[in-house]
Amino acid sequence: MDPYEIEFIGENRIVSIIPNFSYDKIFLISGEFGPFRAGLPMNVPLWLAVMLKQKQKCRLVPPDWMDMDVLENIKEEEKLSRFFTKMPNEHYMVEAKLILGAASEDIPRAAEIKTIIKDIWDIRMSKLRTSMDALMKSGGSYGRLDHLTMMEINSVKPLLPQAMDELHRMKMMTRKSTPATLNTSTFSQSGSSQNI
Amino acid sequence: MANYLSISDILVTNEKVPCKFLHDLPKMGFLDPSAADDDLKAGTNVEIPLWLAESLYTRRPPLVGVDLPKIYKETYREILNADACTVDMHKLGQHFYELGCYIAKHDIKGEVATTLVNTFRQRFRMILSASVSTDSISSFQPLSASERDRTAAAVITEAALSGWLKRGDCPITTANMVANHRKRKRAEMEML
Repeated sequence: MDPYEIEFIGENRIVSIIPNFSYDKIFLISGEFGPFRAGLPMNVPLWLAVMLKQKQKCRLVPPDWMDMDVLENIKEEEKLSRFFTKMPNEHYMVEAKLILGAASEDIPRAAEIKTIIKDIWDIRMSKLRTSMDALMKSGGSYGRLDHLTMMEINSVKPLLPQAMDELHRMKMMTRKSTPATLNTSTFSQSGSSQNI
Repeated sequence: MANYLSISDILVTNEKVPCKFLHDLPKMGFLDPSAADDDLKAGTNVEIPLWLAESLYTRRPPLVGVDLPKIYKETYREILNADACTVDMHKLGQHFYELGCYIAKHDIKGEVATTLVNTFRQRFRMILSASVSTDSISSFQPLSASERDRTAAAVITEAALSGWLKRGDCPITTANMVANHRKRKRAEMEML
């Protein structure tokens, strides 16, 4: 999966905005939103919020978790815990990137928030890599990776399942010591067709 | 895995393994390039491809006894158990793991299997570091064929992820599927 596809999925989350125009209810495929009243906060999907912001028709309200203290807490927890801690949001990276990209002036202390989210991301990615390596070295059959967001899972997508597959296959093939495969005629043409 | 039509399987079973013939085989002297006469005596050591060895081995009574190739023998097993990451797998055997799976069935002591699994586990770390390194040519060099495939896939994913992180907005490009589809249509129309 492309990171852009995950971004697309993450854009569907609801954020709150304060529009500066008035309009009736709009009826979208995913649901109805509205009516828009200038100055009153309301909930819309993230993609709609970013689009309105780029047309300068609204002001974004930062989500609850995008606050310095909350993020500091999360970062401390992440550093101390050996496993992965629960993130405030399934798609925190996607939301952070989009909101901070389009509406950084609406968020207080945006630069610091950017740095701290990047720190959390780096900690989790490096934890992920070391735990992948430990997983392969220890047994390669079962590992515990809870509270991972979609983007992080996607980063190991082709490698980890394929490697575990290969390992499993090798264990299976070498365990079955075929003692006496008589003329069961699975080897009709070439000896390589030992279908396991 | 052992698909009759799978290209990698065909390549793997084409590797030569040393075998010892257990019976006399008349008129098969051409298999041994160093033999003088037409018949193949029992007890000669010949290197034949794996597919031939397997089919000769599974007859009743077995016509050959399969030995382990050099890289699966004691000395190399020691080296691999000590430190698998320093070994240049491309030089030793490009299809190390796949061939090892076939060979392990002929091994009496069963140590080849454990060596295979251990080597795989240790080299996983190498794949991880190769996927994020910038110097792709030298980091791909010591990997076997299957390891290279996996690393190439991981490199693509890493590049996509870091590209997404850097860029601000998503540039809308045509999907690969659609672009190829159009090309095929255009080619068809030109042919008509």
